[in-house]
Amino acid sequence: MKHLKPLNKKATLVDQAVENGQMDEVVAMQVVVGCAATFDPGWEVDPFGSVAALCAPMEADLYGCSDPCWWPAQVPDTINTYPDWNAKAASAQNDWRALQSVFPKK
Amino acid sequence: MRRMNGPQRRRRRAGLLTGGLAGTLLIGTGAWAAEPPRPDEGNAKQIITERCSTCHERQADGSLHRIDHVRKTPEGWTMTLFRMNQIHSANLSPEDSRALVAYLSARQGLAPEETAPYRYILERLPAVVETPIADGDLSVMCARCHSAARFGLQRRDADEWKRLANFHLGQFPSIEYSLQGRDRKWWEIASTQTPQVLGQKFPFKTKEWADWQQAAKPDLAGVWAVTGHRPGLGRYGGTATVAVERDGYSVRYDLTDAGGKPLSGTGKALVYTGYEWRGTATLGGQEVREVFAASKDGQSLSGRWFLPDHDEVGATVTAVRTGTAPTILGFSQEHVKTGTSARVTVWGSGLDGGPVDFGPGVTVKTLSQSATAAVVEVAAAANAAPGARTVSVGKAKGGGFTVYAALDSVLVEPAFTIARVGGNGGATPPVSAQFEAIGYLNGPDGKPGTADDIRVGALPAAWTLEPFNEAAKLMEDVKFAGTIGPSGLFAPALAGPNPQRAFGTNNIGDLKVVATVKDGAATLTGDGRLISTVQRWNDPPIR
Repeated sequence: MKHLKPLNKKATLVDQAVENGQMDEVVAMQVVVGCAATFDPGWEVDPFGSVAALCAPMEADLYGCSDPCWWPAQVPDTINTYPDWNAKAASAQNDWRALQSVFPKK
Repeated sequence: MRRMNGPQRRRRRAGLLTGGLAGTLLIGTGAWAAEPPRPDEGNAKQIITERCSTCHERQADGSLHRIDHVRKTPEGWTMTLFRMNQIHSANLSPEDSRALVAYLSARQGLAPEETAPYRYILERLPAVVETPIADGDLSVMCARCHSAARFGLQRRDADEWKRLANFHLGQFPSIEYSLQGRDRKWWEIASTQTPQVLGQKFPFKTKEWADWQQAAKPDLAGVWAVTGHRPGLGRYGGTATVAVERDGYSVRYDLTDAGGKPLSGTGKALVYTGYEWRGTATLGGQEVREVFAASKDGQSLSGRWFLPDHDEVGATVTAVRTGTAPTILGFSQEHVKTGTSARVTVWGSGLDGGPVDFGPGVTVKTLSQSATAAVVEVAAAANAAPGARTVSVGKAKGGGFTVYAALDSVLVEPAFTIARVGGNGGATPPVSAQFEAIGYLNGPDGKPGTADDIRVGALPAAWTLEPFNEAAKLMEDVKFAGTIGPSGLFAPALAGPNPQRAFGTNNIGDLKVVATVKDGAATLTGDGRLISTVQRWNDPPIR
């Protein structure tokens, strides 16, 4: 990271984590069952085991998760499995209430 | 007209046999005399032969490609059939799917020993933190998206596990990037090493499954002594009366909560694979789902029930058959403080056979006594010895009751869990989190937090939230993420971007949950960690 300098707080956190040798811990970290935590940034929990470094508000980047199939276990992928999932919600920020859970419990 | 199902056919056959030359041999063997009901398999075989086989080709050895080489739980098969409809337009009706789940769970299920390590995922138990799996890099390869239980509850050989890897790549083509394929030879690992490890650890053929297929399956009809724990609400207990009804069971619950109020109702259940109880019941006016496992000998049941739309809200269940060895299952209150008295219900089986004894220094006045419950007034003398007690009711004995003079420490349970934002007009309900303050004595070594600590049990507490770390403080997580009530129930805030927050972020937060317990003149605190996070949009039966 000699030639790269962090420009914002999140990048600084990543930089510090690398310096402190925390990146290896990320891979092996365990969280509550059913949460995905070890990607960067994680769906429920960020790579540091908290929420401050999540992409939030989640709606700002939701279709960046569903369209390129980034989180198929937590977010329906619109590439193959649920192509029409967000058909009625052009803007996730404004229309998130129209999005359905794809495995209804009843 | 309803088709005659498998068990009915077998009963008729068994009846013919018992009426003939085999009669004297079969009487008293149990398994034949009262073969348990099995979920109706309908025309499952026909569906598989005529419809599934149009894609799943029959192999040279007569087996169907893929279908015949996998074993799963009922939930696992349900998810497979859901996917066949969703991705491959299999057009299976709900009736077709029910029949197929019954058939496949019986023919290619998991043995009791095979599901035992992973029952939490079937029971949808909240706040479970899985232990990393040492073999291969399964925790990295699989358990970063799924629970480890998701693959731990499947059985395939290596070549079939490899097909599952192929499926992932085909269905989710960006998976290589998601799974840090940029930093390692992901596909090489996923398609060679991982299937080998999985095939060795979770193979298709096992002794456990071969034995269970041969074993007589228990008939669960009868009267059961039941007890369990509802986090935040305390223990409950009573009886469940189970009777055969059609291809499953009906059940009547006569239960009371820790305060003695009725928690009764009725339900129906199907038992898959000979031991997987899946029921729907109404308890205390609420609809609940049941996921229990029967023991192989049919003498006990254990599991959890939960609310359909809020599976984080529920209760543990333990049940034993009445009329067998006398036993104590639990207490409405698990402790008494010296110099005080309390009304305690002892739940169990065979409790009408003798006096109730809580050990020296504790006087007992029996208020009522039946085979499954003894209601007593216990009074602990000021000088009663603090510590764990073995309670007896006649020949029935049980631990889990503590006399204490002064608490030594308080722990918050769970120590770490999550909640999720929800509601606010969206499709996903909020996911709450229930905490309890558990009192402890130090035990013989006089130190808190060691293995010999003695559990006193859940105690009333005052609950507060604090920021867990500096970022949570800066983002005012305590203000926005939700509230905690007097019973330790955390209610998350509403879903959606919040324009009131920095960056318009969601009402997520990283919180320290603090319980303050008053014990005489002393005040003790304990804390846990709560991450209140965003909703999932995909929440299958096995996460």
